[in-house]
Amino acid sequence: MTLAQRGRWITIGALMLLAGIYVRALRFTPVELTQGPAQKIFYLHVPAAWSAMLSMGLVGLASILFLIMKDARLDRFAAASAEVGTVFCCVMLTTGPLWARPIWGTWWTWDARLTLTLMLFFLFIGYQVLRGAVTDPRLRANYAAVVGICGLILLPFIHLSVYLFRTLHPMPIVLKPSAPSLPPEMLVTLLLSFGVFTLLYVGFVMQRYALGEGESDA
Amino acid sequence: MPEAVAGNGGYMIAAYIVTAVILIGYSVLLARRARKSTSRQEKHV
Amino acid sequence: MRELLRHAWLIARKDLQLEFRSRTALASAFVFTALVLVIFEHGRDPTAVPTIDLAPSILWVTFSFAAMLGLNRAFQAELENQALDGLLLSPISRTSLFWGKLGANLVFVALVQVVGVLLFILFFNVPVWRVWLPFLLVCALATVGFIAVGTLFSAMVVRTRFAELMLPVLLLPFLLPPLIAAVAITVQLFAGRPLSESGGWLRLLAGYDLVFVSLTTLLFPATVTE
Repeated sequence: MTLAQRGRWITIGALMLLAGIYVRALRFTPVELTQGPAQKIFYLHVPAAWSAMLSMGLVGLASILFLIMKDARLDRFAAASAEVGTVFCCVMLTTGPLWARPIWGTWWTWDARLTLTLMLFFLFIGYQVLRGAVTDPRLRANYAAVVGICGLILLPFIHLSVYLFRTLHPMPIVLKPSAPSLPPEMLVTLLLSFGVFTLLYVGFVMQRYALGEGESDA
Repeated sequence: MPEAVAGNGGYMIAAYIVTAVILIGYSVLLARRARKSTSRQEKHV
Repeated sequence: MRELLRHAWLIARKDLQLEFRSRTALASAFVFTALVLVIFEHGRDPTAVPTIDLAPSILWVTFSFAAMLGLNRAFQAELENQALDGLLLSPISRTSLFWGKLGANLVFVALVQVVGVLLFILFFNVPVWRVWLPFLLVCALATVGFIAVGTLFSAMVVRTRFAELMLPVLLLPFLLPPLIAAVAITVQLFAGRPLSESGGWLRLLAGYDLVFVSLTTLLFPATVTE
């Protein structure tokens, strides 16, 4: 089986498991008392965040390794991971406001997590726009690696700056966000969802990487 | 505020639908691009 | 090390001399700064929102836009005349080249900032002179960080299509930490609070500068390698 085919099977499997998560989260996991049903968005939003961070982390890592080893496969992997990361960012940026609105009373707030997500999204977009604008493959790979590394190093700074800002300017909230200690059924659902989203990442990246092998511009 | 809490299920549905659309949509997109890529390679051969 | 700095200074001086002869980028940056400040001045209602609340944000927005105006020209001239290849063949090291460019960009942005602050004091009547030294420190710290990243990115972007659009898109996430910190500290300073109260922010700025000046210096050769 080719890489693309294997990736496709993994993706299909992951999507079926995702359906299972949906059923479990919507029917069999208890509703949270203070937040109501909207809290269940949590089971999609947080794992998507994990996948997006994983994507960025691997883009950064692959970029560093590429600059050291100059292996084109690393560049191809970084390109794949960046595209997949953008998809998970989209999930975060849509589920985030849909969760924020009923809980915090506003669609958007410049808190640490949401701002970080938005900046991550811009990083992914910028990375891919740059790739698209450079025709020479070697130059493109070098440029992409530079941006990838800078982007990765930037993330902790964004988190820190927005966190510092928010602790000095606390915002009013309508309802308190998720409780720190999760009852077991909720935790299990969350962990299962993490697994499925990771599997989705793998399947997506395999397919996207295979596409990069076929075409000359990754 | 039990009414507001019970009533926010609409957001949950919306979020679950949007997520499914994005993830399934991307899977379909990848499959389409793969098919286009292989048919182009076959033409060259 | 001395050789490195000397070469960097040569590059910076050449760039600045070119800039002063043509003056286009500098002029447009000044005009832009004045324009933004005038618009904000006329757009606000002084009875509704006290100037002191808006002032730091306005100032820093102006600074960042003006910086971006200047950044793109960093490698433009070189590329147009293919002088970049000549520079790369010369015995000047990549690091000197980068630091020279960085230095020239910093001087350029500093000039725009000075004019901006003067206009700012004029329009907004904010008592900057009382805290001018800490304010200067903050300006310097915040600017160095994102200009370093900007210099690196403009080196890459100048060879692409849509360079003027690409640079702000790439740079945006990198502007966030230094700008947030700078605005936060400036707010404190204008409110008369001592600089020591902004310790956390200052450490963030210093850390950001240290990390990104080192990183960009390290990565620059990868952007000009064949």
